[in-house]
Amino acid sequence: MTMINEFFTYPFLQRALAASVMVGILCPFVGNFVVLRRMSFFSDAISHSAFAGIAVGAVLGIDLSISSVAVAVVIALFIAFLSEKTGLSHDTVIGIAFSGAIASGMLIMGMLKGYRADLFTFLFGDILAITGNDLLMILAVSILAIVILVIFLKPFLQITFNSDLARVEGINVRLFEYLLFLIIAVVITISLKIIGMILVTSLLIVPAASAKNLASSMKRLFILSSLFGVVSGVTGLIASVYLDTSSGPTIVLVSIGIFFLTMLVKRTAA
Amino acid sequence: MEALRVENLCVKVNGRHLLENISFSVEEGRIVAILGPNGAGKTTLIKAILGLTYYETGSVSLFGRLFKHNNSQTRVGYVPQKLEFDRTFPLTVSELLSFTIPPFYTIPLPATHQNKPDIGSLLEVVGARDLMNRRIGSLSGGELQRVMMAKAIVNDPRILFLDEPASGVDIEGQERFHDLVKRLNRERGLTVILISHDLNIVYRFADDVLCLNRRLVCTGKPEETLTDDVIKSVYGEMMGAYIHSCHDHD
Repeated sequence: MTMINEFFTYPFLQRALAASVMVGILCPFVGNFVVLRRMSFFSDAISHSAFAGIAVGAVLGIDLSISSVAVAVVIALFIAFLSEKTGLSHDTVIGIAFSGAIASGMLIMGMLKGYRADLFTFLFGDILAITGNDLLMILAVSILAIVILVIFLKPFLQITFNSDLARVEGINVRLFEYLLFLIIAVVITISLKIIGMILVTSLLIVPAASAKNLASSMKRLFILSSLFGVVSGVTGLIASVYLDTSSGPTIVLVSIGIFFLTMLVKRTAA
Repeated sequence: MEALRVENLCVKVNGRHLLENISFSVEEGRIVAILGPNGAGKTTLIKAILGLTYYETGSVSLFGRLFKHNNSQTRVGYVPQKLEFDRTFPLTVSELLSFTIPPFYTIPLPATHQNKPDIGSLLEVVGARDLMNRRIGSLSGGELQRVMMAKAIVNDPRILFLDEPASGVDIEGQERFHDLVKRLNRERGLTVILISHDLNIVYRFADDVLCLNRRLVCTGKPEETLTDDVIKSVYGEMMGAYIHSCHDHD
């Protein structure tokens, strides 16, 4: 009980709790599209591409969150453009962009003098180090992303179901594809500080995959995925404080535990 | 009125012609079957008409207007041959149909869209009302086909494109489906462009036939057009038409 009280006493824990709730709702909401469209490799590529953005920001002396978002968005749109214009498979295009971004990031990092702890925050994340400004940015992006996805849920789902049919029905498939790629890129990069580059894709995919095990409709899919995201985030955060473990990995392990539970429920129900 | 006019349509991929100089027109309210062997370009033709495949030269007009989807005033319905989708997609039939109904944004608006089609009644038309809350991944071939038909007509299209809609469905299902198409054609004046391999279906349901083998081989009424020679020129020398005249059997 004392430990729970601490969450309502210490500002850094309050911010961490708020961040885990917001990201717990946002990431799986977007993650449903990642799972349904089989874009896990794309998400991974974007999170690693943000690495190049961080390196650029560090060298140019600009806010690392802004530079990582900017580069991730450019890479995401580049992948969308290249997939459309060439006959190459998504995997190939993503692999090319991914490798280029990582290599560029490493090259640029090599130009930096001394040890930069702030850069490594992005690698592994640190939800306990979230500032008030970070929280405001997460809140703003969360509201914007969810509002756009909810308003345009129909065309996004139409395209996810079958893009040819969507095109015939008058949907501007290209516009919505680019918009979805952009949203995924922004959501991934703003979540980096919380969960880190290495694990951020898990926050998108695992709660969404858990929800997919149990959902009997799209409405339930979106509700369940965000519910699992929030439960993972809050439980993982509390557990990490109590057990004195790293928050990001603890959150991911909790969400994986929930995934296996849903698989068990699904099997039992079948 | 002309529902569809195609002029000098050419589709080329890697230097090879998939379709060469295709020109034809379809009158409103007709059921037209497109016939041809595998690789003849039937699906390519429909996809080119619908703007899903790039065409080198030519033009497509629907109801007198050049057709470009996304800004077209003409409502078009389409049932593809092989629907590729993730069977684990937790999407119900009613959700699938509701997503097809404009507007394509979701903001609560004051009573301006009360003319939205009723999904239950729509499914009743295609004989699939009982499938309303079923997941689309759990549907059989015939059930999915009826649902896709409902999706194709949800926005009251003027013209319908059906790409081998009865493939993978049993004979009874095929009969039911083609009867449905005929009924929609009769009741709504819907123009139908249908790809079929089945000459029996073509004779029984189509008003006109187009024979295709990368080029247009023939057009006209099935009973006048589908002679033995025409079948041979479309499908090859090994094929032919045996026309059985209907008479009582002892």
